[in-house]
This record gives sequence, C-alpha cells and structure tokens, in this order.
Amino acid sequence: MESFAAGLQAVLQWDVLLFLATGVLLGAVFGALPGLTATMGVAVLTPLTFWVSAEKGLAMLLGIYCGAIPAGGIPAILLNIPGTPASIAATWDGYPMAKAGRAGLALGINAATALMGQWISFAFLALAAFPIAAFGLRFGPAEYFGLALFGISLMAGVSSGNVLKGMLAGMFGLALSTVGLDPMTAWPRYTLGVSELLDGVSFIPFMIGLFGLGEVLGQMTEGGGPRAALPPALGRILPRWSEWKRMLRPGVLGSGVGTLVGAIPAAGGDIASVIAWEQARRLSRRGQEFTKGSVEGLAAATGACNAAIGGAMTTMLTLGIPGDAPSAVLIGALLIHGIQPGPLLFRDHAGLVYTIVVTMALAAVGIAVLGLVAARPLARALRIPRPWLWAGIVLMGIVGSYALNNSVADVWVMFAAGLLGLLCRRFAVPLGPLVLGLILGPIMEANLRRALILSRGDWGAVLDRPIVMFFLAATVASLLWPLIRKGRVAPGSAAGSK
Amino acid sequence: MSRRGDLGVGAAFLALGLVLVVTGMGFPPGMAGLPGPGFFPVTIGAVVCLLSGALLWQARRTPAGGTAAAPLHDKGRLAVAVALLAGYLLLWGVVPFPLRTFVFLLAFLRLAQERWRSAAAVSAVLTAAVVAAFQFGLRVSLE
Repeated sequence: MESFAAGLQAVLQWDVLLFLATGVLLGAVFGALPGLTATMGVAVLTPLTFWVSAEKGLAMLLGIYCGAIPAGGIPAILLNIPGTPASIAATWDGYPMAKAGRAGLALGINAATALMGQWISFAFLALAAFPIAAFGLRFGPAEYFGLALFGISLMAGVSSGNVLKGMLAGMFGLALSTVGLDPMTAWPRYTLGVSELLDGVSFIPFMIGLFGLGEVLGQMTEGGGPRAALPPALGRILPRWSEWKRMLRPGVLGSGVGTLVGAIPAAGGDIASVIAWEQARRLSRRGQEFTKGSVEGLAAATGACNAAIGGAMTTMLTLGIPGDAPSAVLIGALLIHGIQPGPLLFRDHAGLVYTIVVTMALAAVGIAVLGLVAARPLARALRIPRPWLWAGIVLMGIVGSYALNNSVADVWVMFAAGLLGLLCRRFAVPLGPLVLGLILGPIMEANLRRALILSRGDWGAVLDRPIVMFFLAATVASLLWPLIRKGRVAPGSAAGSK
Repeated sequence: MSRRGDLGVGAAFLALGLVLVVTGMGFPPGMAGLPGPGFFPVTIGAVVCLLSGALLWQARRTPAGGTAAAPLHDKGRLAVAVALLAGYLLLWGVVPFPLRTFVFLLAFLRLAQERWRSAAAVSAVLTAAVVAAFQFGLRVSLE
C-alpha cells in the first residue's frame, strides 16, 4: 500500500502530468496517421526524454504507447486503413459502420472500448505482476536461458505470413546481438574494427532506423496518396444505452483475450484483436452481422488490441522479455533511464511499478476523452501532407540517434537499420521477430554460458531442472504448433483466412 | 510474395548463415568444456542455413508468380533519397548543422514532390525547431 501511494504521488505532479498529456497527444498523432505506428513513435521520441527524470520520460513514452494504439482505430474506421498493425481487425466492422453513416459512433465505441481494454489489462498488470515477479526471483541463469529460448521459439507461432521468414528474421536479430565484445571473454565479434560497435549495435538508433526511416523510405517509393478522403460527416459519437449493453460483453471478452495474448512474447495487439474478433463472432447471437458493421465485432477488436498493452507490459516488466514491438523499444528507453526490467524491479523499486501502472491508467483516460471529445479534429489530422511528416520523422530520427551519445556512428547505425527495414518491408520479412531476437540474444547467450560455468560445463545439470524442462517442452510445442495447425486446417478451407 | 523474391531472401540468408559459421569457427575455442565466443554465432549460422534451405526449397515448389513484392513506383527516387541522407551524414562536422539540415530537408521535400515554397517553409520551420529544442533547449552540440 505504501508503494502504491508512493507510485501515485510520483505521477500526480503537474510537470509529470504535462509530459503525460504531451505523450498522449503525440501518440494520438502517431496512431492516427497511417504508416506511423506506436513503435515508431516510442522509438523516434525516446531521445527527447534523455534530459528529464525517469518519471517524466516514462510518462511521455507510456502516453505515446497508450495513445497511439486507440488512435490507430481512427483511420481504420474512417479510411479502412489501420493506423497501427494492432487496429487491423477494427477495419472489419469499423469501416462498414462508417460507410453506413455511423462513423462517429464507431469512433465513440473505439474510444470507450480502448479505455475498457486498457484498464482491464492494467488491473491484471497491477494484480498479477507481483506474483509473477516473485516467481521470477527463483530464476537462475539456466531458467533465464530456458525462458529466452521459449521466447525465441514463439517467433514461429506468431509470425504473420511466411513462418520461415519470421524465424529467419528472429535468427538475424540473434546474429546482430552477437556484435560487440563477447559477454564472457571480451573477444570482439563482428565489430569490423569500429570501436563504437564494441558495445554492440546501438539499440535505440537501430529501432529508430528500422521502424522510422525504413517506413518513410518505403512510403516514399511506394507512391502513397498525399491526402486522405474522409467521410463527409461523422454523425453521433456517444453510444446509446442499448449500444453500451451490446458492446459490454464482447468488449470484456476482447479485453481478456487481449491481455493474455499480449502477455505472450512477440504476440502483440494485431494477433490479439484478430483472435478476439473471431471468438466474439463465434459466441455472438448476431454473428451474421460481423464484417457488416457490427458493434460487437468492433468492440471485441478494439478492446483486445488495447488490452494487449497491459499484457505486454506485464511480461516486459516482470521478466524483462518484451510482449510486443513497442514494449521492446520501451526496454531500451527504461535502461537509458537506469531502470532494469525484471523480477528485481519489483523487489527493489515496487513504487516505480505502481507509477507505471497509474501513468498508463491516466493515459488511457486521456486518450479516451480525446477520442470522444476531439474525434473530429483527430480525423482532420489525417489530412496532414505525408511529405511534411516524412521530413519531420527523418530529421527527428537523425538528431535523436545522434543525441544519444553525441556520436555520428549512431546515426550511421540508424541509416543502416533504415535500409534494412526497407528491405524487410519490401520482401515481407517481419520486423517483430528481428527485434525479439536482438533483445533475447544477449539474455540467452550470457545466461547459458553462466549456467554452464556454474555446472562446470555439464549440459545435463543445466537442462535437468523443472523450470528449464518446462520451458524446453513449451519451446518444442511452440515450434511444432504451426505444423499442427497447418495439418488441422484442411486445404482450401476458408477458416482463419481472415 | 513472389517466388523470385522468396528465392532471393533465401539465398541472402543462406549466405549470412555461411558467413556466421565460417567466421564463428575462427573465434577462439572454449576451454574446459565451456563454449567460447564462436559457439553462438556458429549455432545461429547453422540454424540460419537450415531455415534458409527450407525457404529455398519451399520457394522452388511454389508456382512462379504469386503475390508481388510491394511495388517500387520510383526506384530513382529511393536512390536519390538514400544518397541525400548519406551525403548529409558525410558532411557532418564539415558544413554547419542549420545550413546542412535546411538544404537536406529542402531537397528531400522536393524529392517527395512538395512545391518549392512549402518545401522551403517546412524545411526552415523544422530546422529552426530542432536547433531551438536541441542546441539551445537541451544544450546538445549538433556540430
């Protein structure tokens, strides 16, 4: 209770709230504009937080994260273009609602269920994170190796599109994580004689390049339309009582599914919303209305993609393993502010955990109010010319990467990552597994080698531990799952094709 | 994704895997049964070779055609954008930040088919905003 009070007190300062409000606004812009994502927003704007306290910096970044995901539903509803990958399922019922003259109502449902989803998942975070972290304290190097191995194996199950490409992207991330001094012997690996690479690939500049510059270069050359055509009128925004009743059940279902799926490493809001939408359709008495502008379908999809935030943050904060791409970038930002995610965070800085939970809960309220009150101006933000945004993102990426260490080498890392991001985008290689590999690589390697030193090189002693064996079994199951799923879906079946 | 694209991706990853295996084997060996610095690169490289082999096999079995890669409407524009960015970085410390940034943004926005007047205005505003925020506000030397 004392920790909660301390956490609450840290947030309820006018300057922290100002940073939070700024973050929510920026997140709304990043989410609402197709092509700009929550991950890009967190990555590109992290350098702006270097000069402020951890509370203020976190408030801004969490505001961006919590603001961008709901705002991603705005273009999904108005233009049939998901603002962020997480809002893909919002297009299925949101856009038909907009076409039927109920765009305002769809935006209202998006804002309301975003609040519902985020609050349910943050409650889960507040309640479940401490027991999970307490369990995590039992982990030694061998257990962390098992956990990281399991996290990496999930790349196969959650890779959208070609599973092999997802796994290769993850392995590429692992390979990149070996750049720099060897964690045990300090032998330089793949540094190409560049002293700046001795510490490894600079994570934040790499993320800025991968998600910021790569996206801008891709959009520039793929000929995206300069301005969006919006529906002429939005109509009523606030749902009526009967509509509240209809969206409550699928909203709660979506929030539950989203929280659990979000907690799985690398499975973010996009996967959560698709699963929740499908479950809501199966359970609904009005299943035939789905894809035709169903209130239930939209509520389930938006509730789930927002609830994935709390799930992802639970895994990230308790075990140091990112639940999705934005939380992966947040790990880098936390480390810069001297905060190491993992079980020890809960033992040594419990107040900070509550600060994070309260900050996100307030951000959820902020974006919900913004979504209900300022739906029209937010919709107009879609008219900002793309080239202006591209120029702003590239410049912010350059200066932000440089400002990290006052190093031009970091800007070159950003540049190279931008080209890599462009290539991955062009050849449909998913970026999520790559980031996961880059983060989990050092955890896996260092912990395996530490465990082997402790066991004097005895592999059997490392693997023959209950938690490690559990993770190994889970790893095998997750690797086999795509094959099992492929076998279960009959050739030519439409199931799951959505 | 097109068959040709998948074959290209598979070949690139196969090359990467081989490089990892070969270079990793050149790192010092481990001692007393403990893995050395090359253990992880070699393991990763071997898995990459296996997976890329599977991707190549899968791509060869796929009928020619398939979904095309995201279309590049203007490869020339991409090349110029990359060259502009590389030039901007190479001139870091040679040309003062405000001038270099303004010219870079102006060229970038013109490349994105923005009109001269709005391109110049946006470049000036962005440059001034970054200089004000970072150089004067946060005291980061941008030179």
